[in-house]
Amino acid sequence: MSLRRIFAILGKDLREAMRDGRIMIVLLLPIALAIFYNSTTPEDNERPQTAVVVVDPDGLGVADSLRTAAERSVEIDMLSARDAQEARRIVDADDAAFAVIAPGADGDVPVQAEILLPENATPTAQSVVALVPDAVTAAAGREPVTDVQVQPLPVAASDRRPADLLEQRTILVVVCVMMLLSFVALLVVPMQTAEEIGSGTFGALRLAATGPEILAAKALSGLLYAAAGTVLTMFITGALPAEPVAFYAAALGLAISLIGFGLMLGLLSGNANQINTYGGFLILPIVGLATAVLIVESGVFAIVLDILPFSQGTRLLFDAVSEEQPFDAGPTAWLVLGAWTVIGFAILARVAARREA
Amino acid sequence: MTHPAVEVDGLEKHYGDVTALDGIAFSAAPGEVFGLLGHNGAGKSTTIRILTGRARPSAGRARVLGHDIPGGLEHVRHRINLVAETPTLYERATAKENLDLFCTLYGLPAARGDAALERVGLVHAAKRKVKTFSTGMRQRLMLARAVINEPRVLFLDEPTRGLDPKSARDLRELVRELSRGGTTIFLTTHDMTEADVLCDRVAFLAEGRIAALDTPRALKLRLGGAPEVDVVLDDGSDLVLGLDRPDDAERLHELVTSRRVRALHSREATLADVFIALAGRSLDDEAGE
Repeated sequence: MSLRRIFAILGKDLREAMRDGRIMIVLLLPIALAIFYNSTTPEDNERPQTAVVVVDPDGLGVADSLRTAAERSVEIDMLSARDAQEARRIVDADDAAFAVIAPGADGDVPVQAEILLPENATPTAQSVVALVPDAVTAAAGREPVTDVQVQPLPVAASDRRPADLLEQRTILVVVCVMMLLSFVALLVVPMQTAEEIGSGTFGALRLAATGPEILAAKALSGLLYAAAGTVLTMFITGALPAEPVAFYAAALGLAISLIGFGLMLGLLSGNANQINTYGGFLILPIVGLATAVLIVESGVFAIVLDILPFSQGTRLLFDAVSEEQPFDAGPTAWLVLGAWTVIGFAILARVAARREA
Repeated sequence: MTHPAVEVDGLEKHYGDVTALDGIAFSAAPGEVFGLLGHNGAGKSTTIRILTGRARPSAGRARVLGHDIPGGLEHVRHRINLVAETPTLYERATAKENLDLFCTLYGLPAARGDAALERVGLVHAAKRKVKTFSTGMRQRLMLARAVINEPRVLFLDEPTRGLDPKSARDLRELVRELSRGGTTIFLTTHDMTEADVLCDRVAFLAEGRIAALDTPRALKLRLGGAPEVDVVLDDGSDLVLGLDRPDDAERLHELVTSRRVRALHSREATLADVFIALAGRSLDDEAGE
């Protein structure tokens, strides 16, 4: 094997990829999806928001009291009005979900308050409405009628589903990374290989380089796309993994385990357009099976997922992205990836040898 | 001791039940222009594929520059090259980029690419993408790539197919130049005239076997049939007379002595005649099939 020849072919492959619109689309699509999901999916710890207008002429501090009462569940944008009429106008203009009119407290007379609540108030607004009596009472310096304590109950680790430990946004970004790796290994690499076969340039290269050198260059180009695409996706989305080294190692491990099959696909097909057209039928089930690890935890299907490279690779990615290591996949997953890498490249060597013969 | 540049002995190639080569044997000397002729599917391209290490023989021996192929391919890789039947170029790359890649693969300076482009008259198109090239330009670029490493053996697989007359003539001139420089040219072609003009020796391949192998002149004399003459008479009519037939010879003598002959042309056998004699059909028949 000559490194000079491998890197010469690698450089050519990278240049060709940049000039091939089909390959650029396949490479950029998962990154664009990750950016889209990342910007449109709310963070899991984001509280729902609502606006409330408060009339508090005596300055009892109803607004602060209500905000305190709701702070763990709802983020309130608090507005103030001079009187009930102004408050009504604000609610009618949809600038506030409802109004609280607290005319004041006077001695032992029960605290008086009025709530202006539109019929179409959102569930969030209605949940805040439920907090108003206690908030007004507290603002008036009275004791609450009831005292309810919340007792947090610990949940056993075994009862926690992996998906519960991951933010929705993180899940989507990791799935996009997994999609990118599948696209690279099973679409881009086979397309570039098939293009060489179909155009006869593979044969021309064979005069100046050995078959293994050509295939090694193509595998390396796939790894470069995978590494660059993963780094770019994580950087743009700001989804920083808890264990970066483990995350990028998992990404490369998954890519390597699939690239042998991708090269084989390219050698057998010899038609880049065919792969581009029908490759989706191969990729969609793979992405589906990889994502299934978040849902399936037991049964025959779980055993199937245990032996597939893309599902084990996805587990490793999730483990590395979250501090909680939701799957704790560890050495077993690496063993599965290693086994598929060996199988993939062994079959590739056989196919290449038969093709040569 | 000088090895033959190309040496094949008992070479066989089978694709399943199909026999592409059935024990062929020949050799080509250094600097020789050796032609391999035959119908489509006769085994010409398979022979080249084996000799360039891109296919493994089923049996027999193939040697190039004294090294067994494919085992010794690494020893001769930088001393052989090929112009394939159809252009095998990177369409999205420029002519220069195509050559630069192979310069790097062969460990040669990029200046070799410039020199090769100059040699085939493509300097003006060095920075143009290959997808904008005409068929002739592509073939010339293929030739530039093939001479970039100054090969000792150059394989040409139907190199003039689809070329305009000027490009074909330029290519033949380059072949002669390379041959004079000591490069062995191994040529497959459908064009019998081209083979006749270019080749020192030709081998006819039919159904995977060598049907005849000799110099074009010897083959024409041996297999081209009896000599004939075209006779144009003073009344404008013409006739063909076989010189090996006593009646025709007597008739010709009569016509000449009676001064009725206006023109007389000898009709020599061509390689196409040899081909028909050996294969039972012409290449034109194949084109029509």
